[in-house]
Amino acid sequence: MRNISLIFKQFSKAVLLTAGFAILGFSAHAQGDATKGEALFKANCTTCHKIESQLIGPALGPLVTAETDDKWLIKWVQNNQALIAAKDPKALKIYNQFNQQGMTVFGSLSDADVTNILAYIRADWKTQQAAAPAAGAPGASGATADSGPSSLVIWGLLGVIVVAFIVIMVLNKVIGTLERLLLRGKGIILEDEVETEDGVAKVPVDKMAGLKHLAKNKKFIFFVILCGTIACGSWTWVTLWNTNVHTGYQPEQPIHFPHDLHAGVMKIDCQYCHSGAYKSKNATIPSLNICMNCHKVVKQDSKEIQKIYAALGYDPKTQKYDSTKSRPIQWVRVHNLPDLVYFNHSQHVKVGGIKCQTCHGPVQTMKEIYQYSPLTMKWCVQCHKRTEVDFSKAGHKGNAYYDNMIAVHDRIKRGEKVTEASMGGIECGKCHY
Amino acid sequence: MDSNKKYWKGLEELNKTPEFVEKNKHEFAEPIPVEEVLEGGSLFGKTPRRDFLKALGFGVGAVTLAACQKVPVHKSIPYLIKPEEITPGVANYYSSSYDGHAILVKTREGRPIKIEGNPNDLLSKGGLSGQAQASVLDLYDSNRTQNPKQDGAEVDWDSIDSFIKGELSAIKAGGKKIAIVTSTINSPSTLAVIADFIAAYPTAKHITYDAVSYTGIIQANQNSFGKAVLPHYNFDQADVIVSFGADFLGTWISPTEFIGQYVKNRNNKSLQSKKMSRHIQFESGMSNTGSNADVRIPIKPSEEGIALINLYNAISGTTLPGSKKLDNLPAENAIAVAAAELKAAKGKALVVAGSNDVAIQTLVNSINSLLGAYGTIIDLDNASNQFAGNDAEFVELVSDMNNGAVDAVFFLDANPAYDYHNPNAIKAALKKVRLRVSFARNNEETAALCNIIAPNHYYLESWGDSNSLAGYYTVVQPTINPVYNTRQAETSLLAWSNGTFKEYYAYVRDNWDKKLLALGGLTGLKGWETLLQTGYVKGADKTATAYTTNHDLTAAAQIILAHSAELAAGKVELQLYQSIAMRDGKRANNPWLQELPDPVSKVTWENFAALSPVYAKSLGLEQGDVIKITANGYTIALPVLLQPGQAQGTISVAVGYGRTLAGPVGENVGQNAFPFNTFRNGAFIGTAVATIEKTDDQSELAQTQTHHSYEGRNSIIRETTFTEYKKNPYAASGHFDEHKTYSMWDEYDHPTFNWVMAIDLNACTGCGACVVACSAENNIPVVGKDEVRRRREMHWIRIDRYYSFNKGGDLITKESEINQLSDANMDNVSVVYQPMLCQHCDHAPCETVCPVLATVHSSEGLNMMAYNRCIGTRYCANNCPYKVRRFNWFNYWNDARFDNYLQGEHTQLVLNPDVVTRFRGVMEKCSMCIQRIQAGKLKAKMEKRSVKDGDIKVACQQTCPANAIIFGNVNDPNSEVAQALKSERTYYVLEELNTQPGVGYQVKVRNRTELEA
Repeated sequence: MRNISLIFKQFSKAVLLTAGFAILGFSAHAQGDATKGEALFKANCTTCHKIESQLIGPALGPLVTAETDDKWLIKWVQNNQALIAAKDPKALKIYNQFNQQGMTVFGSLSDADVTNILAYIRADWKTQQAAAPAAGAPGASGATADSGPSSLVIWGLLGVIVVAFIVIMVLNKVIGTLERLLLRGKGIILEDEVETEDGVAKVPVDKMAGLKHLAKNKKFIFFVILCGTIACGSWTWVTLWNTNVHTGYQPEQPIHFPHDLHAGVMKIDCQYCHSGAYKSKNATIPSLNICMNCHKVVKQDSKEIQKIYAALGYDPKTQKYDSTKSRPIQWVRVHNLPDLVYFNHSQHVKVGGIKCQTCHGPVQTMKEIYQYSPLTMKWCVQCHKRTEVDFSKAGHKGNAYYDNMIAVHDRIKRGEKVTEASMGGIECGKCHY
Repeated sequence: MDSNKKYWKGLEELNKTPEFVEKNKHEFAEPIPVEEVLEGGSLFGKTPRRDFLKALGFGVGAVTLAACQKVPVHKSIPYLIKPEEITPGVANYYSSSYDGHAILVKTREGRPIKIEGNPNDLLSKGGLSGQAQASVLDLYDSNRTQNPKQDGAEVDWDSIDSFIKGELSAIKAGGKKIAIVTSTINSPSTLAVIADFIAAYPTAKHITYDAVSYTGIIQANQNSFGKAVLPHYNFDQADVIVSFGADFLGTWISPTEFIGQYVKNRNNKSLQSKKMSRHIQFESGMSNTGSNADVRIPIKPSEEGIALINLYNAISGTTLPGSKKLDNLPAENAIAVAAAELKAAKGKALVVAGSNDVAIQTLVNSINSLLGAYGTIIDLDNASNQFAGNDAEFVELVSDMNNGAVDAVFFLDANPAYDYHNPNAIKAALKKVRLRVSFARNNEETAALCNIIAPNHYYLESWGDSNSLAGYYTVVQPTINPVYNTRQAETSLLAWSNGTFKEYYAYVRDNWDKKLLALGGLTGLKGWETLLQTGYVKGADKTATAYTTNHDLTAAAQIILAHSAELAAGKVELQLYQSIAMRDGKRANNPWLQELPDPVSKVTWENFAALSPVYAKSLGLEQGDVIKITANGYTIALPVLLQPGQAQGTISVAVGYGRTLAGPVGENVGQNAFPFNTFRNGAFIGTAVATIEKTDDQSELAQTQTHHSYEGRNSIIRETTFTEYKKNPYAASGHFDEHKTYSMWDEYDHPTFNWVMAIDLNACTGCGACVVACSAENNIPVVGKDEVRRRREMHWIRIDRYYSFNKGGDLITKESEINQLSDANMDNVSVVYQPMLCQHCDHAPCETVCPVLATVHSSEGLNMMAYNRCIGTRYCANNCPYKVRRFNWFNYWNDARFDNYLQGEHTQLVLNPDVVTRFRGVMEKCSMCIQRIQAGKLKAKMEKRSVKDGDIKVACQQTCPANAIIFGNVNDPNSEVAQALKSERTYYVLEELNTQPGVGYQVKVRNRTELEA
């Protein structure tokens, strides 16, 4: 045991040291003032650039971190055209890589300004990368949050089991020692002790004997079986509860459509594309003519946008459609309710005034869409039971349909809170027909 | 007066046959074969136990492995460019026209899924027949001809066009005849296209041939009034209606329209103003109309003509030469009474006859002329264009073809190789025709004899119009792109006649612009667009003239008497009729219609030989015995059905069955009875002398009548007479009956809505349109003949048909009296129809026995059914006193043993996406169209208003031509349903059980006075 802890200590020391040096090394890189840089970045660069992803220009985070020659970068930012004109190899490479689209010339930025901006970009990129693994599995955390026992409970149980095991072992040992003492007091010497006293080294035999001894120990056997049963049982329980629950389901779509860009950065209203949500049971996946409203012009050269053109049989050069070449885009369905249940978006969105995010999660930050809610009946019913219907809210205010309802419920509930359930919203026939 | 009249659904119930008693012991006629498995030592023998364990092990393993597969990836494919008017998930309605009725076609994501009547339709005011409801399914029929064909090989349209044009110009040069054979066409644009074609090929002639024709009436009007038209009847103007075999509520001319008119004088509103029409029916077989009549007299076909002559004599006070008394005394008495009543109601009285015999119709014209029916009840000036068949012209064409005088024949919606009385003559004649073109949508009997098949669009894919009634023009517009590579027949004819128009759409537009839009005060593109929304234009009616006739009836009487004598000379008189489901058999491949029980006989999936029970007994025949029927040298074998009310010595057979080429559903279902028709005096006549031969075969009919027994409880039907009703409107309603009611459960609160239904038994004619509408709306599986025999039909709404005896004006109330009745009373039965569906009881017996709470009560008064919660114990069905729950014995939507529309690649497109298809092993039942309720409420919420009465219409209510079903929120005291339920006649079925049903019925009232047989 002591050996292990020693090794562990040395190992952790080494790790800490390495990490420390690494951080020092990185921070040595960024000499500018990141706060000043942030302001400058937002004022000058965000029109075309993002740190983590490509916008009109390339993603700056990885690019600037990889490029260590700050002097060159300053030159590039201040006047990239000059660099290109001078046939600087690096500059030409970037220029060609991005379809020979020139970057705006920022003559007004001083060297210090650019250094500050670079410092900000590098620092921000680093924090983003550090945060990435945690944010990378948002589904997993979502799943545990709402699907049966949480991982905390499971680990807690396992912890209790381990502690109990140790306690029993210790107690066993104590009892054994006490028994031995008792027997010795009576003058009986145990066999194994005799053997040791013989001075014959039979270590392997000893071990086997220990195992055999253990195997004969009914309490131990019982304990092992109990642990096994509990472990298997809870695994089965959790698995069964989560069968066909696809929280976090994030399939790769045929077109890489970034919701974070459209709904997040560009702040396009959800209903601009999912227009059915207001009037139909289906929120509807937008047809490609909706995409074309913008992308006839915007980002024509993107590989993803080209896919839209291909699907429509659209030629951006001639701006003509050729329906013989068109073929539908097969999106992978993420939110998939079984046929046996009827769900109507307009009821919730238009009448109920519920935000899309309530069920679909932070879509405005999703690079690729994933299933945020479990979409189980329990989840539906819970919301119907718990959410108080606010009759002053947009969806209900002045809705004469509820005149009857309110009067009735005022009488019945005498001012108690009104939920969907109290209006019959959890009756079977409301969704199952 | 309490309702203790004895009602029975079928002879087996009346006679308590051992088989019936045995089958009704259990809720489900066939138990699950648990015993078979358990017996034979299966579980106790050595090997079987091991086998069982092996199977169990293998099963568990296989299931585990199967469950290990990944969840399938679902694709979501949006429109590339979404049409502006389509929002996925929201239905669009287009106005169009079916058979001259203005309709609304419900489409979802561009495919038609339901037909609804247009509430503004002049004919049926929003009601529709079962046939119209079922027509949407035929659009997706995978048996439709999918490409044009030449000599059986699929070719493209261009080669068809060039071939036909070449042939036609050669024929034109040769100068031989060209015939365009169609069923009745009342579309002005199609008629214009045909006229253009005839202009291009002057030897061409348009011949109208109807499988079931009304030539007799048209010719008779020519004889009597010099107007060869089919008149427009207004039954709502008649206080006394006497019908001789005219099934005007079921199949005669325009039944959907006539139901509405007829019921107007018999429904709740009419009764409350103490007014009710009187209807006397003389007929051989029990028809839907006869079963609704106040008095029904069975007569033989041979007696019909004589009876009419006697009626004429009685009304006119003269005696036609050759008149004689009927041997049938009750009928003779009834004629006297009918004549007196008709005379008393002069100007408000109508006589109709179903016969296609010109002589009989001429006689009827004279009677109606004496009664002053013309100008009001019968309108010859605003004539009906629904049927214009000219039988003689077609017969002449067949002989012309045989003589080699015809070089080209075109068949549009006409299938004489099946429905002509001599199909072999058609086959022989067609062999001598050089160019035979069929526009048939399906591979049918006539198309198989043609060398060119140019498949026509279905009406839901077509442009067009129709003019069913003078001055009433409806438009047909496509609601889906053509499903197959078909082309509209009119477009084909345009192409072949080298006209200026290439597309029929342009032709229709042009025709309307020039002639028809102005009728509705519309002009130009705007007018056309308005038309496409409203669906019809109506010109001003002409003033109806009160025609009279003094036509000499001597010749007519001679013809009638001669024909009667001929019929009476034989032993058995055969009478053909159309069944309500199948009509002329054009929709034989429609499973909804095949499984729709016939209103009277309750038989599905075949036709049969209907015989009176007494007559059958004398011949030693029992139900299900297969007999050979021979008439006019044609023989078919059919199972016997014992039909109370059938005239003695007669046999009734339905046409429309026995298609040999129709598609997998309709082929070889029943036997073809069309060849029993004869051609007499220029018209096809459906009566004949027949001989019967018993065979050793037995064939069990798939008859639903005694399924779902009430175990002898007798407060289901309540009935009274109009005389009683006038004395006491509460008569027979049991309104003041004292029941001691016990309740174990709390009362339900219905704070906002309480959805209930009111059904007027006096309005319901039992036509069955609601059953088909419900099937279309709720994705109800079709189970097939065998399963119907096993009592496993799935209809959520059924129409129960009850018989009861009449004797000398008294109602038979006691069972002991029934035994004392003579056999002759079997002729004199009256019928009550009762639509039966889930009663949505407040104290529902089904809810309390469900162990898994799969069926529970809603705060809106509905009895809900959660299919995915159901584990199939079937306790609920056992405990339901109304027997309205249906159990899914199979996965009808994917079980290879059933060729079901639910699983056909194309036919399943008709499914309503708002209603789930049910899995094997779960119960289902009427949901009160909860999807419509939810949609109606949501619409109100979105529009920020409360739900208005009439916003939500359930499928059965929507289609009912009689408005017998009213649905709504009874919490709203002004709602139609609340008003209807306030009627004194309202009662609840099995009220004494205190199930507190949500469906109220209104007592049947029969207008019986002194007339009795």
